[in-house]
Amino acid sequence: MKLLVCVSKTPDTTAKIAFKDNNSAFEEDGVQFIMNPYDEWYALVRALEVKEAVGGSVTIINVGPAANDTIIRKGLAIGADSAVRIDANPQSAMFVARQIAEYAKGEDFDAIFVGKETIDHNGSEVGAMVAELLDQPYISFANHLELDGKVATISREIEGGVEVAELEVPFVLSAAKGLAEQRIPNMRGIMMAKRKPLKVVPPTAFEDQAVVVSYELPPAKAAVKMVDPENLDELVRLLHEEAKVI
Amino acid sequence: MADQYVSVRNLRFLLHEVFKVSELSRFEHYEHYDREAADMTIDASKQLSDKLLFPILTEMDRNKAYFSEGSVKVHPKLRSVIKNIAEGGWISAHNTFEQGGQQMPLTLLNAALFIMYAANGNAAAYAFLTQGAANLLQSFGSEELKSAFIPKMYSGDWQGTMALTEPQAGSSLYVLLSTAEPTEEGHYKITGQKIYISGGDHEAVDNVVHLLLARIKGAPAGTKGISLFVVPKLREENGALVSNDVSTAGIYGKMGQKGYVAAHLMLGEGSDCRGYLVGQPHMGLRYMFQMMNEARIGTGLMAAATASGAYYASLQYTQERAQGRPPSSKDLTQPPVLIIEHADVRRMLLFQKAVVEGSKSLLLQCSYYADLEMVASGEDKQKAHLLLELLTPIAKSYPAEMGIRSVSEGMQCLGGAGYCDDFPLEQYYRDIRVNSIYEGTTTIHGMDLLGRKVLMQDGRAMKLFAAEVEKVIQEALKEEALRPFAGKLGQAIKDLGKTTYHLVGLAQQESPEVFLADATLYLDFFSLVTIGWQWLLQGVHAQRGLATATADYDRHFYVG
Ligand SMILES: Cc1cc2nc3c(=O)[nH]c(=O)nc-3n(C[C@H](O)[C@H](O)[C@H](O)COP(=O)(O)OP(=O)(O)OC[C@H]3O[C@@H](n4cnc5c(N)ncnc54)[C@H](O)[C@@H]3O)c2cc1C
Repeated sequence: MKLLVCVSKTPDTTAKIAFKDNNSAFEEDGVQFIMNPYDEWYALVRALEVKEAVGGSVTIINVGPAANDTIIRKGLAIGADSAVRIDANPQSAMFVARQIAEYAKGEDFDAIFVGKETIDHNGSEVGAMVAELLDQPYISFANHLELDGKVATISREIEGGVEVAELEVPFVLSAAKGLAEQRIPNMRGIMMAKRKPLKVVPPTAFEDQAVVVSYELPPAKAAVKMVDPENLDELVRLLHEEAKVI
Repeated sequence: MADQYVSVRNLRFLLHEVFKVSELSRFEHYEHYDREAADMTIDASKQLSDKLLFPILTEMDRNKAYFSEGSVKVHPKLRSVIKNIAEGGWISAHNTFEQGGQQMPLTLLNAALFIMYAANGNAAAYAFLTQGAANLLQSFGSEELKSAFIPKMYSGDWQGTMALTEPQAGSSLYVLLSTAEPTEEGHYKITGQKIYISGGDHEAVDNVVHLLLARIKGAPAGTKGISLFVVPKLREENGALVSNDVSTAGIYGKMGQKGYVAAHLMLGEGSDCRGYLVGQPHMGLRYMFQMMNEARIGTGLMAAATASGAYYASLQYTQERAQGRPPSSKDLTQPPVLIIEHADVRRMLLFQKAVVEGSKSLLLQCSYYADLEMVASGEDKQKAHLLLELLTPIAKSYPAEMGIRSVSEGMQCLGGAGYCDDFPLEQYYRDIRVNSIYEGTTTIHGMDLLGRKVLMQDGRAMKLFAAEVEKVIQEALKEEALRPFAGKLGQAIKDLGKTTYHLVGLAQQESPEVFLADATLYLDFFSLVTIGWQWLLQGVHAQRGLATATADYDRHFYVG
């Protein structure tokens, strides 16, 4: 099995979010970045498990600047065999999907894994776009994958139940919680990471049709109001008139 | 349960800005450790700690280890914790590639270890105890012994221990009674007993390998007659593991670290306990001493890390608990303020921060000296060796003693809640206490510092230390904000010099009893100067960081 795993960089979950350039761009200064957990914990680890079971290779791909190499090498430390970085600033989901699809076209991957979404933009778009651009079937939010030769059985949670699909390679899958269990890189992996190939590829030209105009933070949480336990009427009034929940 | 137990940002500051660990990669032995590899290592340790260690910190205390039907039961997850630490490559990380390790600098490994100990020292200690025992074998054992035991220790299947203490031999090992009788087959027959043996027996591993001190029959009395042996709980015979006549009489009911077993072992009650000599006869204590610096730094790490957990738990509480008003507010209708607003609560928090981060810095400084001692050459090597020797008693004792005070202040921040077991402070308070007792009591370290280290090579280590302090003072004098502190440290190092001179004078005029009577107080004083030096060093680098920081997050960090 020749597998491609798409990984992206997201701010650490504890990072303070701020914007610059008239709120049109994310302020990266002072922010600690991590590999998007859905890519790392589920997509990458399941791909590695498949490779360990049936042989083959796992390549990770990222669209981003040289600063992303740190994230990429973590993927190599966890166990990917090689990596590709498309050397461009990821401007939109469509831009990223185009770059990945362009690269994948010449490589004949049996399957492409992405995380179900990034934890910053939560777009959940790249996987579907890559599948479309490659004209391959796409299964989103997969939480279970079995492979028997070239046939994959994939489950996904749907409202109130589980949907099971069967399809042949090649396909694109987006990984949800449950697909695999997080792997922590071991010391040997960290040492090996530097010796594994990381290919840097120039981007293909692509004009984005949509531009981000601005970002906004959610409104600040209102202060907690303390209500005297003796004064239940006041509590009911507040819930009714201010919170409007009853 | 608190959310945070360690500051990774502070560790990165120490590693990259203060000690510049990646510069060790100029030595061939450490060439692979650039900044990225260091960061990945720290991240891996934090992930492992978050996922496996921290979640069972309280459980391991509540469901303590116990002895039943001849075996020691421990937390059910301990086996997988040890296995995961082993598979992560942590037990052998510092060893060479040929030995199956990753040649990781001790500075980096100890920073990673600090995270694990802060998350749950009681669990992580099992694995790192094995590391110490395996290192001893690695350094002095025959190839045959190494291949028989080390792979299983590195893989986490077998526990390693250090078995020194006996009922009559604690601080003073020269009265050790366990005996080893040579046999024609080449092994020794061991008899005796060992007490308080950490990790001495438990069900989370398949075998236990004791690195044990005993006296060969007919050996000279005193420390010169002590030899080092490998004594496994189960020995291999015809491909199977059979009993080696090491039995557990019981385990100790301890004040803290209740998940980390300390066993009382009986050796050779059935005259069938085999020991295998490590290295040369009668060299046991000398071998042990060569590994002591590492073990003592390990104990300092455990103490400082426990205090770190307590600090963050108390910090969180003070940001959530509202009580009282500022002294200037007379309006009783105003809601109470968060207790972190009160000056004395801040004092207690800052005291903890000073102890935790000062200790951490000194421990990494000593680890750095240990690295240089190993990979540098000539004068640099000698210098690192002497400074490490001098500062190890402090790196062990200061975090252990001041850690107790630090956790106590943490508990105080929580008021009544600190004393009750809904919050982790009372556990940290019990857990930290032992660090000033094992690996040599504080008294023993005080005597080691004043009676041996200070006098070493005509006081050369002391002179080197004073020069290191002076270097930092000179750097600090360049920073406006640090000048007053530089002045105070300058005065303190002079006072320390005078005190040392006076005491060494006493050694010549009076009996050793008089000379060493105040050794612990001397250690206290020396420790304060040492930690002051580490704080000034951090101050210099924080000022530099502040001058170039662009993000608020970094500015806040450097300001403290
Ligand atoms: C939880 C726990 C785990 C342990 N784990 C291990 C282990 O894994 N392996 C192992 O071998 N040991 C272990 N120990 C033993 C530990 O190292 C000893 O307890 C310690 O060295 C002190 O020895 P002792 O208890 O006999 O006290 P003692 O030596 O009897 O000391 C009692 C007091 O007298 C003081 N004192 C002793 N001698 C002098 C002196 N010459 N001058 C001035 N004061 C002195 C001491 O400082 C102390 O205050 C462990 C102990 C504990 C409590």
